[in-house]
Amino acid sequence: MWYFTWVLGTSLALLLGIATAMLCEARECAHRNPEEN
Amino acid sequence: MNETVVELSRLQFAATAMYHFLFVPLTLGLSFLLVIMESTYVITGKTIYRDMTKFWGKLFGINFALGVTTGITLEFQFGTNWAYYSHYVGDIFGAPLAIEGLMAFFLESTLIGLFFFGWDRLSKGKHLLVTTLTAVASSLSALWILIANGWMQDPVGAEFVYTTMRMELTSFLDVMFNPTAQAKFVHTVSAGYVTGSMFVLGISAWYLLQGRDVEFARRSFRIAAAFGFASALSVIVLGDESGYAVTESQKSKLAAIEAMWETEPAPAGFKLVAWPDDEKQENAWQAEIPYALGLIATRSTSEVIPGIKAIRAQNRERIESGILAVKALERLRKDKDDTDAKLVFEAHKQDLGYGLLLKKYSPDVAQATPAMIEQAARDTVPQVAPLFWTFRVMVALGFAFALLFGLSFWYSIKNSFVEKRWLLKWAVWFIPMPWIAAEMGWFVAEYGRQPWSIFGVLPTHLSTSTLSIGSLYGSLAGFLVFYTLLLVAELYLMFKFARLGPSSLGTGKYHFERTTV
Amino acid sequence: MLDYETLKIIWWLLVGVLLLGFAVMDGHDMGVGTLLPFVGKDDIERRVIINTVGPHWDGNQVWFITGGGAIFAAWPLVYATAFSGFYWAMLAVLWALFFRPVGFDYRSKIAHPTWRSTWDWGLFVGGFVPPVIFGVAFGNLLQGVPFHFDDNLVSYYTGSFWALLNPFALLAGLVSSAMITFHGANYLMHRTEGVIFERTRRWAIASGMAMLVLFLLAGLLVGGLPGYVITSTVDAAALPDPLAKTVVMETGAWLNNFRVQPALWLLPSLGVLGGLAGVGLAILRRPLAGFVASSLAMAGIIGTAGVALFPFVMPSSSDLKSSLTVWDSVSSHLTLGLMFWATVIFMPLIIFYTSWAYKVMAGKVTTQYIEAHDKSAY
Ligand code: HDD
Ligand code: HEM
Ligand code: HEM
Repeated sequence: MWYFTWVLGTSLALLLGIATAMLCEARECAHRNPEEN
Repeated sequence: MNETVVELSRLQFAATAMYHFLFVPLTLGLSFLLVIMESTYVITGKTIYRDMTKFWGKLFGINFALGVTTGITLEFQFGTNWAYYSHYVGDIFGAPLAIEGLMAFFLESTLIGLFFFGWDRLSKGKHLLVTTLTAVASSLSALWILIANGWMQDPVGAEFVYTTMRMELTSFLDVMFNPTAQAKFVHTVSAGYVTGSMFVLGISAWYLLQGRDVEFARRSFRIAAAFGFASALSVIVLGDESGYAVTESQKSKLAAIEAMWETEPAPAGFKLVAWPDDEKQENAWQAEIPYALGLIATRSTSEVIPGIKAIRAQNRERIESGILAVKALERLRKDKDDTDAKLVFEAHKQDLGYGLLLKKYSPDVAQATPAMIEQAARDTVPQVAPLFWTFRVMVALGFAFALLFGLSFWYSIKNSFVEKRWLLKWAVWFIPMPWIAAEMGWFVAEYGRQPWSIFGVLPTHLSTSTLSIGSLYGSLAGFLVFYTLLLVAELYLMFKFARLGPSSLGTGKYHFERTTV
Repeated sequence: MLDYETLKIIWWLLVGVLLLGFAVMDGHDMGVGTLLPFVGKDDIERRVIINTVGPHWDGNQVWFITGGGAIFAAWPLVYATAFSGFYWAMLAVLWALFFRPVGFDYRSKIAHPTWRSTWDWGLFVGGFVPPVIFGVAFGNLLQGVPFHFDDNLVSYYTGSFWALLNPFALLAGLVSSAMITFHGANYLMHRTEGVIFERTRRWAIASGMAMLVLFLLAGLLVGGLPGYVITSTVDAAALPDPLAKTVVMETGAWLNNFRVQPALWLLPSLGVLGGLAGVGLAILRRPLAGFVASSLAMAGIIGTAGVALFPFVMPSSSDLKSSLTVWDSVSSHLTLGLMFWATVIFMPLIIFYTSWAYKVMAGKVTTQYIEAHDKSAY
């Protein structure tokens, strides 16, 4: 059932993306001012 | 049908479809990246993620406009240029296209307006919902069109009815859950996700190399690396699954992709490189990895994969049987109750398509000479060299993406990618590669299906409309002019806004606005 | 499951509904596109006009795409024969439509005046040309189209592109254009104020009157056109075989359905009354009610043409028996049933989220709005 795999896989990939961003905010990105580009 | 009309119609379809697919993969991938960015905004409340969503969304819009424009061309084209095809298989093929409109295009296109213009009018949560539904709908549109396309590769759930002179649906579930369609769908949307990720990764890397909008680019890069890594792995796994599906349903395509002229003892070797010669039906030279192909394609050590020569010999028999089917069908068209003809027809029905292959050489198949039959049998395996090479480029790129995204992801976790200038440069240079891989993939899938438009059922040369050559030259010229102008406008805007970066949002926070103020 | 005959009729109605959906939804933004260069005198006015449909044109266009898909699925022979026969007309529609996505999305991304006014005219073409061509196509259907099938049901179109542009067909094209312009003007008035509103109002009154006059004129002429009649007995439940019937041509036959079923006169009356009401409401400055009136007028006008043709969809003037009808150009029973249920499920959802999108974006578009959203508005 590859359709099912798609639903699951895409959701996980999205979560992975969000988690990576949050990880950054929790760790190194937190020490930087995002307004300072 | 006129041979030139067939050639020109093929050229027109191939050109406009490949053009459409320049924009499709970016829509598929970027929409999900927007979902990630906006979700992070909603969760953390940091406005930089909203700016990211808006900026990448702007680029998304520029691309999306051409995706829509060129998609309509394709939808029209079945009717305008492939009229006999549309009649012959419309009963099955039309349904997924209509459902695609009802289920996916409406949702995607209605909500995209709210994505762009609804920022001040919707709550954060509702806007995120809109973005998510747009992304899901774009993948759903891919689902239905690929079910349609999968059916052309592997026509399940349908049978020929001689009273209506066309294929008719017998099971919609078979069409929907066609294993070929499933593998195709997941492989193709993953390819889109890779494309979207590569786009964001590459452009972000470019900002980082220039040292501007660093905070913006750093966050974009990370998200693209994570999503792209998962997608790149999925492309490889599902590419392998597509290959397996091809083994099951289209031995001729597999043999051509592998330049395998002779049936080899199982498990067959995988040819890394070779120089195929279609005239002599052999490879001038080749370098091979033993056993690999057999294992990949059949997932067993004992199943034999037939070579091109064996496939042609087998198809020759099917053509001969098909001649009987065509002749019986002609009698049935004159008299629907001819019981004798009906018996013959039922016995040879499964080879009808093979009989029709002869119409290219002899309008009355009963008159076909042995030389014509030989030629038609030869046609059943497409030219080898183009398939062999395009496939290998796609696969090589697939592994290269996995490596690039793997490293990018790894260094994101370790937070050291900003210093790795070689990695950033690699990412910038690789921006065009997913498009190349995807176009190669379509070439393998579609050219590899020849001489059929519906595999084993309807030959391409019977599928066209009865148009004049002049009309086709005219329309081709029109497309050439329009598409060139549109592409110039698109690329101009894309480059302009990518160069400007988030400063194009006019928030006052980003690079150019600060240096100029 | 519904029986085959019922489904064939349902599909005739559904194709009508989709066409009407297209006319009401995509019609109003095409009408706005037609009016754009004339009503908007400077850049900011034009941006106001464009932004009244900015968030919606793409969703609306899907009525057209889905209509095409539904004809493919339900009437494959019509899809194949009409699209290939009207090759250049279809390409003209297609190429005109090219200007819309790019016109909307790219126009305001660059400030150069030539760039912007080029796309404004592009949006005009994208709004003006398709309705004219659809009208012309209807005008030709009402006269019959020269095509035939061979034994294997390969279709051959034997007319030329220029033959499509005969006087009656051009009249039908004008009806269609006036109708869409009128409808677009009602929408535009509803979403704007001040000078734009006033200018549009004049266009609404003029195009509404033009629509009424032209429609009545076309109606008078139809009585004198050759119509088509099936003379063999029709087995509506039979497997579709377009070559199995006999057809004759008879002057005035397009009015037969109205003679048999006088209630059908309600449709042309709806066209006329809706048009009159619409013009009146424009005079009274009541654009929202006017929009409803012009929608009803379009239902009447399109319905009139459809009912006149019934059961024909695409009559053949050169080989009468090849004519395509509701009975014999359809898909299999299974496909018709399947597509019927797909439509029943998805259509309400579509209407639901489309209404929601309009509700979210409701209100007048003003020059202040454009100034405040210079970078993000179209
Ligand atoms: C794998 C994905 C895929 C493939 C193989 C195709 N398309 Fe496509 N199409 C999309 C994925 C997509 C999309 C991602 O949903 C698009 C691209 C950009 C966009 O706006 O939506 C789209 C847009 C798009 C539109 C405009 C929809 C709108 O207004 O929103 C039409 C009518 C088509 N396509 C029709 C076709 C046809 C007839 C195809 C085959 C011959 C086809 N597409 C191949
Ligand atoms: C958007 C991605 C696609 C690309 C890049 C693509 C590419 C091509 C190419 C290269 C050909 C020419 C093959 C040849 O004649 O040598 C072709 C033909 C064709 N393709 Fe595709 N294709 C795409 C999607 C589709 C889909 C989704 C369908 C159907 C649902 C489809 C249906 C056809 C048809 C009908 C032809 C013409 C008949 C034929 O040559 O068999 N294509 N396409
Ligand atoms: C290891 C990597 C890969 C393998 C083994 C692989 C395998 C395949 C095979 C066997 C097909 C033909 C399917 C058919 O004929 O029906 C195919 C098609 C295709 N591939 Fe790949 N592929 C790989 C990587 C990629 C990459 C990296 C991309 C793009 C980013 C890509 C995009 C496509 C597309 C768009 C098609 C046509 C649609 C389809 O038939 O599924 N592939 N691939």
